[in-house]
Amino acid sequence: MTKLETVIQPAKFDAVKDALIEIGVEGMTVTEVRGHGRQKGHTEFYRGREYTVDLLPKVKIEMVLPDHIVDRAVQAITSAARTGKIGDGKIFLARVDEAIRIRNDDRGENAL
Amino acid sequence: MAAAVPDFALRNNYRQESQRIQRDFEAVGSGLASLSSRTRLVDTLALTLWEQHFAEVAKQGCSLVALGGFGRSELFPYSDIDLLFLTENDACGELIKPAVSSLCQTMWDCGLRVSPCVRTLADCGRFDQGNLELTLSLLDCRLLGGDQSLFDRLHGKHLPQLIARESDALLQGLSEMTQTRHQRFGNTIFHLEPNLKDGPGGLRDCHVAQWIGMIVALSSGHRDLVSVRQNSAHGEMLDAMEFLCSSRCYLHYRHGRDDNSVTWAAQEELAARGIATGAGAVSPAEWMRLYFRHAKAVYRNSSQLLGQVSRERSSLYRSFQHWRSRVSNSEFSVVDGRVYFQQAADAREAAAVLRLFIFMAHHGIALSPEAERRLNDAHLRLAETMPQDEFLWQHLREALTLPHAANALRAMHSLNLLTRAVPEFETIDLLVLRDLYHRYTVDEHTFMAIEVLHRLKDDQNPSLQPFGQLISELEHPELLFLALLLHDTGKGLEGADHVHGSVQLTAAAVERLQLSEEDAATVCFLVANHLEISSTLRRRDIYDPATIRELAGKIGAPERLKMLTLLTLADIKAVNPEALTPWKAENLWRLYTRTAGYFDRSADVEGLDAKVSTEVVEKVIELLPTQRSEVRKFLEGLPQRYLLSHSPEQVAQHFTMAGNLAAEPVQLRLRPNSGQHELIVATDDHPGLFRTLAGILYAWGMDITKATAFSNRSGVVVDSFYFKDRFHTLELNPPECERFQRSVREILMREASLDRLLESRLKADHKPVKLSVKTHLRYDEVCSSRSTLLEIITQDRPGLLHTISSTLTTEECSIEVALIDTEGPVAHDVFYITCGGHKLTAERMRAVEWALTAELADALPANW
Repeated sequence: MTKLETVIQPAKFDAVKDALIEIGVEGMTVTEVRGHGRQKGHTEFYRGREYTVDLLPKVKIEMVLPDHIVDRAVQAITSAARTGKIGDGKIFLARVDEAIRIRNDDRGENAL
Repeated sequence: MAAAVPDFALRNNYRQESQRIQRDFEAVGSGLASLSSRTRLVDTLALTLWEQHFAEVAKQGCSLVALGGFGRSELFPYSDIDLLFLTENDACGELIKPAVSSLCQTMWDCGLRVSPCVRTLADCGRFDQGNLELTLSLLDCRLLGGDQSLFDRLHGKHLPQLIARESDALLQGLSEMTQTRHQRFGNTIFHLEPNLKDGPGGLRDCHVAQWIGMIVALSSGHRDLVSVRQNSAHGEMLDAMEFLCSSRCYLHYRHGRDDNSVTWAAQEELAARGIATGAGAVSPAEWMRLYFRHAKAVYRNSSQLLGQVSRERSSLYRSFQHWRSRVSNSEFSVVDGRVYFQQAADAREAAAVLRLFIFMAHHGIALSPEAERRLNDAHLRLAETMPQDEFLWQHLREALTLPHAANALRAMHSLNLLTRAVPEFETIDLLVLRDLYHRYTVDEHTFMAIEVLHRLKDDQNPSLQPFGQLISELEHPELLFLALLLHDTGKGLEGADHVHGSVQLTAAAVERLQLSEEDAATVCFLVANHLEISSTLRRRDIYDPATIRELAGKIGAPERLKMLTLLTLADIKAVNPEALTPWKAENLWRLYTRTAGYFDRSADVEGLDAKVSTEVVEKVIELLPTQRSEVRKFLEGLPQRYLLSHSPEQVAQHFTMAGNLAAEPVQLRLRPNSGQHELIVATDDHPGLFRTLAGILYAWGMDITKATAFSNRSGVVVDSFYFKDRFHTLELNPPECERFQRSVREILMREASLDRLLESRLKADHKPVKLSVKTHLRYDEVCSSRSTLLEIITQDRPGLLHTISSTLTTEECSIEVALIDTEGPVAHDVFYITCGGHKLTAERMRAVEWALTAELADALPANW
């Protein structure tokens, strides 16, 4: 099993979610986050006042997937979230040793 | 003595009878009938066991008494059985302990959850602050068996005396207990999966209302508990109890335990089986709508009663409310924090009733039960005579903008008067959007959205504070509030697109209310686009300039952007308490500031080619069909900003003014507008024109709050000034309006001297101010291809615009476009300037900056 942690542009969330559902990914945890990578922040003005926008809005999607679907999920995310500009986001992958469904004690991929 | 019945026979009989009652309920669906049958069954069982187990114990000096729900004969399938073993004295109590134990054991074996207690008569007549529940449950006591005279003494003497003696403490305790219970549910009836018993508006609130009635009656000298109990429920409360009892009964059978949550799945079953609907199967949303209708009635009734008893008994509260009674006027009196009609007949007059709701919206004071009763009695007459036109709008606009508007609207709606005034609202009366996101019914969502905006100014949440400033800048907040009131009315119509339905209903409403064309267009625009910003936030990259450009194009003008931003904020926040996260609020603010910035930096983009501008042009031509080419010629060179910030009627008026320039070279229109004055000037452009106009207004003592200046390719200038008449010159002396306009004309035509007019004003016009604002000057050379943008943020002061425009003229700059705005003590002015027809050189920019910095510093009085 692999955990995918994906940070994307908020505007791309619907497209990414639809693409994941399309390939059979059913469960995900979504969080509204702020951050930046190389994109960094910038300064904006509103009525003469200066606003430093150093942390930009992003959406983080976390999911644990059976290994056989991970490549397709990565492809679905990159296709749906890519604009080609700085700030499109990142995908992090990590091995997961065990998963347990609290309700009935299912283990492993059965618990996903 | 009755013959002993074996336990297994009792258990079998109890089980079979319980199943029969359940089958009857499933067949008929009557909760009250089921509760009554079940009470009789448990009565029989308890009495049988009493006869068996207490045969050898003294029958005198001991009674078996049903308490709580069992005592009220409202025994739900899996409720606790509250039993009191009432004894004459402690010795008797000791004697019956083994029998009590045996009786309870057998009932447990039957599957009944018995809660027994053994108390002497003296115990029951004492008030125990720490066991309020016992005294409350005694209110519902009912004799099952044993010593009748002992029970009679409890019921007829000790209990009434206890209640009469301790009524204050009892009511206080009951009030606190209820408040704590309501707090557990967020003090609202609106939950996605409500609890039918303990939730606000649930059965427990019905009982609270009954108990208050009984305590108040007994403390006022009534001695008969039975008659007091019978009189405590009435009308809509009885309907609500029938609904809640049937539904709770179903939940008990469904869950097989005392679980009163109407879960998502349970809602579907209750609706499909038509439980408590009186009309067979309905949709789950419709079933929930019925639930909310009853819960609302119960919650209102119990809250009103609790408020009433708290007011009568708390001296601190009375002192506070006495202070509030000072707001009483000739029409309405405020007593104990509730509003009453001074003249009973006024409750039958629609105009007086509308003024009552304005009064409530202003002071945040709830209706007294008496006023509510009078309004209910007069409902038919009010429904027939409720105005529907401009008269209604004059009252509604005032109420909507007052701080407690939401509560006034709620009160109006609960009396069925809001739907008489605004029939469009009827479509969303208690309408349920059955998903896991929308927590409130659509009507309550609307009231909450209005409440959100009124509370914005005082909201301590850092992510909401910038919006609080925004709402105070609105020129016509009443239009935003009207749009909020109507924005979701389409949800009650058939069809997938509720926005389309809402727009249709809004158009009908604004026509009936006789709003001006401009105001009507703004309200319809807000309703039609109320999802636009949400959609942009969700689907578009808000840091992409194309997104901002497109959004600005759709919205058209900064004032509409402010209103739509606030409407979006309120709409999201009123969906559920967690819907507006700080993350969303920040993104909304960023989208707003970026779009507002775009408006300032695109003000000289020419407009005839843009899609939205073209639509405006076509509408102007519709108004002047015979002058198509002349209109297009007039509009050539005018920027998009001009077209989007003026209605077609306004553009047509400017065109007409420009057409008259040949006969009269200075065309003026002066009119009062929202507590200020608006002066429109059309004339041929010439150097220093804007400076001259600003100077004339200053010399007349006018305080300019907003201004725009645009010119077309033929050199016709259309300048608009919004100003406060600081000395009420025009307001108090109508002939001065003519003299003022003559003065403007003469100076513009160089027939009179501006300098002479200014002389008197310049001598004495420096008033100290409390808050100083630091001056910022900023250039933007990128945003316009033809002009240099100069943004000035500085302390507002008399004659500021004249000072700035004079300095720019002295520095040989022409003002191509001017956008002047004032927010409290801050002046925010944007000028698109050229020098010799070109952008400013670096050297000229430095010179202008130096001169302005010096002038603005010089213009400050010594204490600034």
